[in-house]
Amino acid sequence: MTRPTSLRFPISACLPARRHAVVVTAFTLLLSLPLQRISGSPYLEVFGHVGCVGAILLVAYSAAVALRPRWLGPGLARLAAIVLAAPVAVLLTFLIAERGNVVAFLRQPQSQTAYIAMVILALLFGVPFSLLAMRSERRQRERADRLQIELEKNRLERELLDVRLRMLHAQIEPHFLFNTLANIEALVACGSSNAGPVLRHLIAYLRAAMPRLNDADATLETELQLVRSYLELMRLRMPDRLRFTVAAPPDAAALRFPAMALLTLVENAVRHGIDPSVDGGAIEVGGRRDPHTGAITLWVSDTGVGMAETAAPGTGLANLRSRLHGFYGAAARVDLHEVAPHGVRVELHFQEKELA
Amino acid sequence: MRQAKALIADDEPLLRERLRAHLADVWPELALTDDARNGTEALELFAAHRPDIVFLDIRMPGLNGIDTARALARGAHLVFVTAYEQYAVQAFEQGAVDYLVKPVDRARLADTVARLQRQLHAPAHGQGSMDALLDQLAARLGQRAVPAVSRLQWLKASVGNSVRLIPVEQVHFLRAEEKYTRVVWDEGEALIRKTIRELADQLDPERFVQTHRSVIVNLACVREVVRGMNETADVHLRSGGEVLPVSRSYLHHFRQM
Repeated sequence: MTRPTSLRFPISACLPARRHAVVVTAFTLLLSLPLQRISGSPYLEVFGHVGCVGAILLVAYSAAVALRPRWLGPGLARLAAIVLAAPVAVLLTFLIAERGNVVAFLRQPQSQTAYIAMVILALLFGVPFSLLAMRSERRQRERADRLQIELEKNRLERELLDVRLRMLHAQIEPHFLFNTLANIEALVACGSSNAGPVLRHLIAYLRAAMPRLNDADATLETELQLVRSYLELMRLRMPDRLRFTVAAPPDAAALRFPAMALLTLVENAVRHGIDPSVDGGAIEVGGRRDPHTGAITLWVSDTGVGMAETAAPGTGLANLRSRLHGFYGAAARVDLHEVAPHGVRVELHFQEKELA
Repeated sequence: MRQAKALIADDEPLLRERLRAHLADVWPELALTDDARNGTEALELFAAHRPDIVFLDIRMPGLNGIDTARALARGAHLVFVTAYEQYAVQAFEQGAVDYLVKPVDRARLADTVARLQRQLHAPAHGQGSMDALLDQLAARLGQRAVPAVSRLQWLKASVGNSVRLIPVEQVHFLRAEEKYTRVVWDEGEALIRKTIRELADQLDPERFVQTHRSVIVNLACVREVVRGMNETADVHLRSGGEVLPVSRSYLHHFRQM
């Protein structure tokens, strides 16, 4: 909760909620009935007293949070406000009723009894009422929080669904699939012992590229295996043009990681960096964890043809950025760098998510 | 009849080997030259060996299959080999040139070989239909790769000892600073070598507007434009911070706003 730090008096923060005002009015109207019987005074006079005390206590309750000292919690501040305000409120009411002649009034013993009775009544009803009001406020807040969390969850689920749909459409590119199958057919035809392992890489890749019911168990380790499978398949197709290394910080293997995030970058590096290059190049997938801050940096770097300044940015990078934000919070970044003399290096920066 | 000679151009070695083995089976008398790994090598080998037939992969690094075919012109009978090009296959079906899909099917290759053997006695394809087919192919394949107008999409900026590639949509504004131009974007600021004049020409005018001799601003980042004295104005950005000048000669950009 933010409190105004300026010197301006936060009037609006001190005004009671309409719902509270209605409850207090209704209750004081009711309470005045039995009090009228006991005291024998006219109903309006009794309500004048009771209503005035109720109104003052309500303002005290409402203003307590805004005016409390920093070290006092909002709940305690409200209870303290009610307890402190009760004797003052009754005194003020008598002051108004007797038009300032309160000293003479309080000298009479029956007036002192009335004062004490009113204070006790004010506390008797004021304290439970404020406890009830605080409980209902807390429930309302919890409901609003739940709604907010629900909305956020819906948004993330929608984004995830988008990503899965895109995977179905984009990741298993027919050109990639048929070319790889043609290569495997060639291996089988010449009886190469390499056919089995290559087929297993393809299966691993296809399994990972299929939309999954649950992303929750994806880790950096599974992502790196997927990246290796993909790169092995690509090396089969261009053995003379593609070299690669895949490594990661050893202590980050179990890190929860959004599936396909690194693979998207590696596919880009092959498709736009290595494949168009006659001489090919090297792809390096790596990472490190800052020993002091714990911040993690992962990178995919290639020495391919590089990127033209006019290259239209695909949707892949923007999607990746929003997925990282969803996963690791708004501080997560995706940076692009140029590699000399030619090539592109993409870096992911983020802090490991705290386990909720 | 002299022995027919063929050249295979494909960037994937296993697939070159496979086609070579298939051809040895279905057409043992065919002589094969060294294989080409890309379009440029194909042209060199063609010049050296003058083959009658060229098997061309479409997607190759450097010079692709279609450009290679153009350069070969009428010189040889062409057979395109492709893994999956929906549009290309359509185009072949309308044209006279033969094509094969990977993985190459032996029966299908035998048909192709039979046709080639017949055609070797006849002259190569009429140049007209061939050119039309290649144009069609290039247009269909090219549509996906090359955008209509190539506007600047990335700015190269030195940050520390690395060259950052900054997506233009993250740029707030650009301001001339002596010899360099200062770029301010989502994550900070940096200096780039391009001048404001160059940038004004290369950036998308729908998104970036020059407001002053030394200032270009991203319209998406403008909060308000406040009129000043003497036909000038100030641009206030959503991100707060620097207030940018609009000089008289550029004020017309904001007239209707």
